[in-house]
Amino acid sequence: MYGELGNKLVAHAKRTQALSQLPPYQTDIVRQVTREVRDLNQDIDEITNSYEGYFNPSADPARACALLVHHLCVRRNKRCLLAYHRVRAEKIENMCWNGMDVMEQVQAARVAEGDQDDGGSSHALSPEEDEYARQYGDMLAAYKGQWTDIDLTGSLEPPKDLFIDVRVLKDAGEIQTEYGQVNQFKVVLLSSLTLVCSAITLSKNSQFFVRQGDVERLIKQGFLQKLN
Amino acid sequence: MDIDDILREFDSQNAPSNSKDYNDLLKWWVNERAAPEILQYQDDLVERIMTRVRRQIEHIEDQTGNLDPRANFQLIIIQTELERVKFLIRSYLRTRISKIDKHALHILSTPALRHLLSPSEQTYLKSHQALLNELYLSSFLKNFPENLRRLDDSAGGISMVEEPDLESAVFLRVVRDLEVNIAVEGGETVEMKAGDVYVIRYSAVQEAVKRGDVELI
Repeated sequence: MYGELGNKLVAHAKRTQALSQLPPYQTDIVRQVTREVRDLNQDIDEITNSYEGYFNPSADPARACALLVHHLCVRRNKRCLLAYHRVRAEKIENMCWNGMDVMEQVQAARVAEGDQDDGGSSHALSPEEDEYARQYGDMLAAYKGQWTDIDLTGSLEPPKDLFIDVRVLKDAGEIQTEYGQVNQFKVVLLSSLTLVCSAITLSKNSQFFVRQGDVERLIKQGFLQKLN
Repeated sequence: MDIDDILREFDSQNAPSNSKDYNDLLKWWVNERAAPEILQYQDDLVERIMTRVRRQIEHIEDQTGNLDPRANFQLIIIQTELERVKFLIRSYLRTRISKIDKHALHILSTPALRHLLSPSEQTYLKSHQALLNELYLSSFLKNFPENLRRLDDSAGGISMVEEPDLESAVFLRVVRDLEVNIAVEGGETVEMKAGDVYVIRYSAVQEAVKRGDVELI
C-alpha cells in the first residue's frame, strides 16, 4: 500500500522521541521508502509523457486521479523521511549538548536493546548520522569556545545553592575544582569537612559537599548523584 | 507611599548601573523566553555583564588564599551571585539557540531577522543548516528526483518552512502608557496603563516589546 512504510517510519520517530536512547537506524525502511518515491515518480513521468505535452484532466479523470495520488504519496513519503531524520538529528544534538559521548550512548543502547541482530548488522547510527554527530559536536565546541567563562552546556535549572551534597556512583578519578583552593573556606565554615585541596578524588560510594558548578557535568554523565 | 514606591524611586534615581544591567538582563531573558519569535540580541548588555563576571572571577581567585572567615563568607555570597548571573546568560543564550534551530530556514530567508542575531549565532545557524542539509541529502534526498529535493517549497498548500506563531497569546506588564491597536472589525484600540497586566496576542504588542514599553512575564 502506498505510504505504509512511511507510516512505519513516523511511528519509529514517535517512539524515538519517548526513548532516552537512540534506537537502531532503520536502513531497510528508509531505502524502501526512497525506492517507492522513485518508482512513483517514474510512473508520473510515464503518464505525463504519454500525453506528449498536452493533458486535459477533465478528459481523462482516471489518469488525472492517478497522477494526483502519486504526487501526494511522493510528498507524503518525503515528509515522513524528513520527520524521521529530523527527530534523530535532534536526539543527536541533545546528546552533544548534554556532553555525552554519542558513540558511548549508542553502544549502551545496543546492549539495552539486546542487540537481536547477531554480528551487529543493525547500527544505531547510520554512517551519515555518525558524520553529523561528529561535525555537530565540533560546531558546538566552536560556539561554546566563545563563552569561556560560562559553561553553556550547564544546568538549565536555576541554581539554588552554591554547594550541594553528592554521592559518588562510579569511580570518577580526580577532579580539579574551578577556583582551586576555594574549598578551604568550607573547612572554616563547616568544620565537618575534610576537603582542603584543589583536587578531589571521587571514589565510589563516598559522599562530598562540593561546589555545584564543579561537578555538574559529572552528575549529568551519571558519575555522581545529587542528594537533597 | 508604601515601601515599594520608595524602592522604585530609589531605583530610578540612583540605581548603580550594575543592578540596572542585571535587571535588564533579567527582563530580556524573560522576554526572550516568553516571545514566540527571536528578539534582538542584547550585545552591549551581555558584553558589559561578561566583563564584570570576569572581574569577579579574578577577584575570587585573588581572595582564595585568604583564610579570614569574614572574607570567605563574602566570597560565598559573590560566588552564589556569580552562579546566578551565569545561569541567566546561559539560559538566555540557550533559549536563543533553541529558537534559531526551530525557525532556522525562516530566519535564514528573512534578512531582517538575520540581523537580530549575534555574529556567532549567525555562524552557528549557517553551519548547522549546512550540516542538516548534508545529512538529509546523503541519507535519502540524493536518491530523489531532482524536482523533489528542495527543503523549502510550499507545494500542496503546506509550507515546509516553519515560522514562529505570532498570533499566540503572551502575558505582559505595561512599563509605559500606550495604546494598542487590536485587529478586530472596526480597528479597536486598547489603552494600556503602566503597571497593568494583560494577556494579548503577541502580534498586537510586537513593536511595544521591542521598544521596551511592555515587558513579557
